[in-house]
Amino acid sequence: MNLKNITYKQVIFYISLAVLLIGSLLFVNNNYSFYDRPIAKVMEAHLEESNDVVDAYGNEDRLFTQSIEAEVKNGAEKNRSIHLINEYSASGAFDQAYKEGDELFVWIDADTGKGGELTGTIQDVKRDKHILPIVWIFIFILLLIGKRQGFFSIISLILNAAILSYALDIYVENSNIGLLIICGVTVVLFTITSLLLINGFNEKTYAAIIATLLGTFISFFITYAVLWLTGESGLRYEEIDFLSRPYKPVLLAGLLIGSLGAVMDVAITMSSSVFEMYENNHAIDNKTLKKSGLHIGKDIMGTMTNILFFAYISGSIPMLLLFLKNASLWGFTLSLNLSLELARALAGGIGIVLAIPIGLYISIFFVNRKRGRV
Amino acid sequence: MNVLVVLSAILFILMVLIGGRKGLRSFISLFLNFAVLILTVFFLLDPAMNPIILILIACAIISCINLFYINEVNSKTKTAFLSTVITIVFLVLLIYIMTDKLMIQGFSEEQVEELSTLFSLYIGLDFVKIAAAMIIVSTIGAITDVAISITSPMQEIFDQNPGITKKDLFISGIRIGRDILGSNTNTLFFAFFGGYLALLLWVKDMEYSIGEIANSKIFTSELLIILSAGIGIAMIIPIASWINSYYLVKKREQKALQKQEE
Repeated sequence: MNLKNITYKQVIFYISLAVLLIGSLLFVNNNYSFYDRPIAKVMEAHLEESNDVVDAYGNEDRLFTQSIEAEVKNGAEKNRSIHLINEYSASGAFDQAYKEGDELFVWIDADTGKGGELTGTIQDVKRDKHILPIVWIFIFILLLIGKRQGFFSIISLILNAAILSYALDIYVENSNIGLLIICGVTVVLFTITSLLLINGFNEKTYAAIIATLLGTFISFFITYAVLWLTGESGLRYEEIDFLSRPYKPVLLAGLLIGSLGAVMDVAITMSSSVFEMYENNHAIDNKTLKKSGLHIGKDIMGTMTNILFFAYISGSIPMLLLFLKNASLWGFTLSLNLSLELARALAGGIGIVLAIPIGLYISIFFVNRKRGRV
Repeated sequence: MNVLVVLSAILFILMVLIGGRKGLRSFISLFLNFAVLILTVFFLLDPAMNPIILILIACAIISCINLFYINEVNSKTKTAFLSTVITIVFLVLLIYIMTDKLMIQGFSEEQVEELSTLFSLYIGLDFVKIAAAMIIVSTIGAITDVAISITSPMQEIFDQNPGITKKDLFISGIRIGRDILGSNTNTLFFAFFGGYLALLLWVKDMEYSIGEIANSKIFTSELLIILSAGIGIAMIIPIASWINSYYLVKKREQKALQKQEE
């Protein structure tokens, strides 16, 4: 890189990034006093015993018992040592071995007298100091490779997460407003902010915004009509984890938001290419625009639907394995764990395909308006 | 009538109506990919199999379907395939290390409470490796998409400027990649947001504190999935641009050499 090309603004930007990086890393590694829950740092871990187990279905695993000497890092018992017992399995479906340096949230059970050793139970792992470096790797890779566009992707992620969180806060506090209405409004906000961030203020973006909203809502109503007409047969709601609310609005609102990104991507691809063709050749007629636009749409529909498909289905893999290893039948396992994910993927696919003609015609409409003005 | 059957039928009709033969192929590719995924799950059930190796093979087959079947076998898809495989190998190592450090494998505390009454959780599979495999599969669709979206216009640029240098070609590849980076990451981010809606509402309803969120197994694992998706999409941009520019220029040099010999 040519050093002369670096502007004053960029220097400020990178310095503040470096300060943030170092500051946040220092913070997560020393933030014990901010937690109410006692934290203990593992100083020594010894394997006490291990034995093989075979469950009712013939699955072989190995169980281990660790005895751990740790040091309390916060609260009233700070700096005292604590004795912990950890039982874990080789497969680690919900447990794991601990080693020197790991930090754990613990319950302090008993005090064996003055200066003596505390005993406690392990509650959870302190993960913040491990997730933060990954956040920074993400930021640096996106900035390094994507430069300005990478920066906007990060901003768009943060902004959209904030909008979603705020919208859910409104819903939790006023449950009389339906989740669907709130998410519908959120979808409009998401579309406008993301497309403006990616593409800036211009007619290409306006065409893409209208096409995205039409595509998303039409595909949503198609899915809604299908659910209503079929009486939701074949959908299994038992396996939605973390359900604190009626399941149906949660599923529908998830459908609405989930397909939005893909529909946006298709809409922006369609409008960019239609406008690009027009800019290159102002005399181009609508028929050619239609034909070439449709050609581009055909090229992207397959890969786009596959993106959604994998994003939705993959999360079920551990659960599928658990069911099947516990001698559940394949048909039962698949319908119970995948029906909602497949419905989401199919609904998203419908949105993607619909966005192709919608995006195409709206962009052509905008191009013609521009032509009229010239 | 079953919801999934009706939705599939609608998707099928729309794809064929708008996409013609290519639409049909796109629809069939969904089924082929589903079959590959189910087959992978079948092999994952065997504790003797290494999940990382299995998933690398599965990803290679999936990108073959996405690139060679939906499109066709040509130099654009071949270099896109090679770039995808290289990116996946790098990414799977990175994700495996992160998964291990974060200890997010398997099931969360909230899930285990219910699961442990119904199931035996000691099933002898390596859940750390399975978690890494799961994360990589969630981004494979997006990674192949970026790869082909870079190699295909690069070929156009190369055809239009036959004398272009390797470096210029590489830079235009990166530039194309940057333009699609934002919309591609958005596709995945929103897909994940939609999928996590139940979880997000749960976190709000249970009034988790920031400290609890930042350390909870379920939340950090969802965050890891989102971040890995972004890293994967960004990483393939230089890899695909470099491989494609190297390949195209090498081919040109070989042709020139042949002409000289003649």
